[in-house]
Amino acid sequence: MKHGKHPPVPDFVAQAAQAAGLETELSRRGFLFLSAGAVASVAALGLCDALAAGRKKAGPPLVILDNARGVLLADPARCVGCLRCELACSEHNDGRAQPSLSRIKVSRALAYGLEGPGQGRHGAWGDGLVVQGVCRQCPHPVPCATACPQNAIVLDPDTGARVVDDAACIGCRLCQRACPWGMLVFDEARQKSSKCFLCHGRPKCVEACPAAALRFVPWRDLTREGPAPLATLSVTPGATACVDCHAPALKAPRPKTTR
Amino acid sequence: MASTPGGFAGKVLRVDLSTGRTSTEDTVERYADVLGGTGLGYRVLWDEVPAGTKPFDPANKLVFATGVLAGTSVPCSGRTAITTVFPSCWPRALVGSGHMGGQFAAKLKYAGYDAVILEGRAERPVWLFIRDGRVELRDAARLWGHGIRRATLEISQEMGADCCVAAIGQAGEKLAPLATVVNSLSHSAGGVGGVMGSKNLKAIGVQGSGGVRIAGDMEQWGRLVRFHLSILGANNQHVVPAFPSREAEYYNPGSRWVGEPGRRWGAAEPPVEITGSIRDMNRIAYRTNSAAFFLGERAWKHTVRGNGCTSCPVRCHTTLKVPAVAAKYGVRDTAQGTCIALNFGRFFFPTLPDGPKGQAALEACMLGMIMADDMGIWSNYGQLQRDFIKLFKDGVLKAKLGAAEYAAIPWDKWRAGDPAFLLDLVPRIGERRGELGFVLGEGVGGPFDRWGIAEETWEADHATTYWKMGHPKHHANEDDGQCGVIINTQYNRDAQCHSHTNFVRNGLPLHEQKRLAGEIWGSPDSVDAPGQYTPMNPHKARRAKWALLRKELHDCLGLCNWMGPWVASPLKERGYRGDNSLESRFYSLATGRALDREGLDEAGERVFTLHRALTIRDMGARDMRALHDRVPRWVYEDPKGAQPFTPGAIRMDRADMALAMDQFYALMGWDKDTGAPTREAYARLGLDDVGRELAAKGLVPGGKDGGQG
Repeated sequence: MKHGKHPPVPDFVAQAAQAAGLETELSRRGFLFLSAGAVASVAALGLCDALAAGRKKAGPPLVILDNARGVLLADPARCVGCLRCELACSEHNDGRAQPSLSRIKVSRALAYGLEGPGQGRHGAWGDGLVVQGVCRQCPHPVPCATACPQNAIVLDPDTGARVVDDAACIGCRLCQRACPWGMLVFDEARQKSSKCFLCHGRPKCVEACPAAALRFVPWRDLTREGPAPLATLSVTPGATACVDCHAPALKAPRPKTTR
Repeated sequence: MASTPGGFAGKVLRVDLSTGRTSTEDTVERYADVLGGTGLGYRVLWDEVPAGTKPFDPANKLVFATGVLAGTSVPCSGRTAITTVFPSCWPRALVGSGHMGGQFAAKLKYAGYDAVILEGRAERPVWLFIRDGRVELRDAARLWGHGIRRATLEISQEMGADCCVAAIGQAGEKLAPLATVVNSLSHSAGGVGGVMGSKNLKAIGVQGSGGVRIAGDMEQWGRLVRFHLSILGANNQHVVPAFPSREAEYYNPGSRWVGEPGRRWGAAEPPVEITGSIRDMNRIAYRTNSAAFFLGERAWKHTVRGNGCTSCPVRCHTTLKVPAVAAKYGVRDTAQGTCIALNFGRFFFPTLPDGPKGQAALEACMLGMIMADDMGIWSNYGQLQRDFIKLFKDGVLKAKLGAAEYAAIPWDKWRAGDPAFLLDLVPRIGERRGELGFVLGEGVGGPFDRWGIAEETWEADHATTYWKMGHPKHHANEDDGQCGVIINTQYNRDAQCHSHTNFVRNGLPLHEQKRLAGEIWGSPDSVDAPGQYTPMNPHKARRAKWALLRKELHDCLGLCNWMGPWVASPLKERGYRGDNSLESRFYSLATGRALDREGLDEAGERVFTLHRALTIRDMGARDMRALHDRVPRWVYEDPKGAQPFTPGAIRMDRADMALAMDQFYALMGWDKDTGAPTREAYARLGLDDVGRELAAKGLVPGGKDGGQG
């Protein structure tokens, strides 16, 4: 098989793809570039199980995640900019009032909108509109999970939310770079990444909003709307090159796969 | 981070503008006994600013201080107190504080500081850059002379969108006593802008990535926050709606809870209709609409949304969009404000063509907010506008302004109620142009000193609502009889106390209020309905003391005294009870330093007494009763001759008020004859050093005779 720039696809993936009748797709575009439709077929054929089995053997990162079951919807016209959502998130999940750790992001757009001072037309300085930043719980390919060299962004079995496995995170920040909407959070004190995990199905931000501007609804694909995503950073199974380039935080445990 | 104490950010930042030197000190070690906020400010003034220091001397200090609850999810916790020798206090400047909401308090704490002490004077205009541990003075030459919007925008460009900028405008630069410091576009602190200008400090930009640690159990904390939300009403803690509702036993047209289902934020994109239950915790933000409260029906269609401070669900700071003002006057079409700042422009006009709630009124409000918050002009709780009208009507302006200046003012527009008049008048005040602009910016002391007007003229005229020392009444006898009067005697600016009025004006019928009052202050007789006053009794004195201490406490903790205390609630199932211990429960959980209600109230009393001590020290007099705790003549008069304690009369009785002050002083442990705290009162509150120093100057009752009192 020719893979262009991509390193060789591990055997177990090739086998699984073959079983699903996807070997042509795989060889043409590379494992990580499977279309959403193909993913559905893969899922239907139990490919994920096959992949999971393979993972135990070889330990490469896996990047196909089932869709989440719920997602946050935010209505900017209702947002009153009080930041109670950010405070609820960080107080409940981090044990401290610290909006910089919040997995919902409103502060950044509060004054000038997302475009920032000088360009922004929204926010208190513009037309008053505050556009909340919420995690879309992306469908495959999940940019943050794909980018993680440790496969530390995994599926919460209960909600389907994409969550950071704290023990596996090495603090390389690649997920932060990968998210097209800037929704990853990095805790500088702990040198760990975090992201919205839907509070195990009862989002505290929704509960805290005094203007009913946030809703927790059955998942739908929000990634096709809004600003054009950045190019997805991808990490190919088996590769350790990213870790080599992006040195993990000194405080973090060394990755098990490091040679 | 884990080592930071709960609640407190942990450090106080000190910036010497003369030398550019910055340093920090430990908040808890140095200031825990005075809590923070105004307490911290008073302590700095007591320890470091000698009596007789003038407001604009480099020796004066300017203390931006917030409190342990700011930056957390405690509702209504977005306040910063700015304490200094207060410029508009007349005839002699004394200690005072301006207070602002917005985002500043939270950002300062996230940067790691509970307070910033500014001292000295920079050689050239500078602004203060604070990003977490990094603190720098940066050149502000290009910002000087510009308005607050320009300064804030350029600093935000330099720091990033998520900074908060507190800046002064032209009024502050030009040392107007009526100058504000404004953060987050429109959240202003009155009276302190000139002090910042005198230090050549244009702005403080603050950005913080840290957080506030809660020392206590987070489950308990979350429960208490939810409980607090459940007992909130609308702005000023009005606990019944202004409209009849199946969900409320009572309603009261005077309530600020105006968000009736079916109303719309008409200028939201798309418009937002208020739906659902008025008691829903996820709809608290729809209850209050300051613009609709003041301007009526018309304001709804111009409402973009409710805005306000960090973590506050009440959103009293209404954002309005009025395209007509952009077209007519060439200003932006969107503005926001609360209460007096919202009314800044409208209040200059004695009459408006389509009435006080018409289109011209709305446009005047928009123009006023936009201009005053850019130039940084303070209205002194509307005294500026009332003075302007009175000075014109009394012929003073014609007599005192030069003929050319007088003729240049477009009086025809003013008489016609044309908001365009503000385009001429407001910049005169902000830039202190001409005799009129200069004198009005001085505050009431301007006409008194410069135009030879006797203070008694103002004290005799109820229309001025002038109280004393350069400032007006602020929720006095019109709201709360003797309690209101006692409260208005205590400060060196307008009293800024809402503890009392947030109860008596909460909208509940009198029998419910009296039942609650019996539980809280020991007797139903501690409360009268506004204008239905009964003679003084000790329970009223107890309530006045409680109101003052809670006000001071809120200013120390970062809480909003425009909302608290929360001793009544909208909850019929609780018998409309709120929680008189809420502040101490939050304080204990946040800091891990358990203090019950009495303990925290005592800390509030310590701070309030320190304010008293500073006032006594700086006046060099101990007879506060005669020299300081004054009541204007109009309080004792009724234009139609109504007698005290008759239905509808708000005039008070002199002998009854004298008794009221006796009872209040007794409760405070102050000397009855002079109203000065005794040595014992200071010692009881852990202020023995203060008592000793004042005694040495003869400023304590029974001390050596050295004071003028």
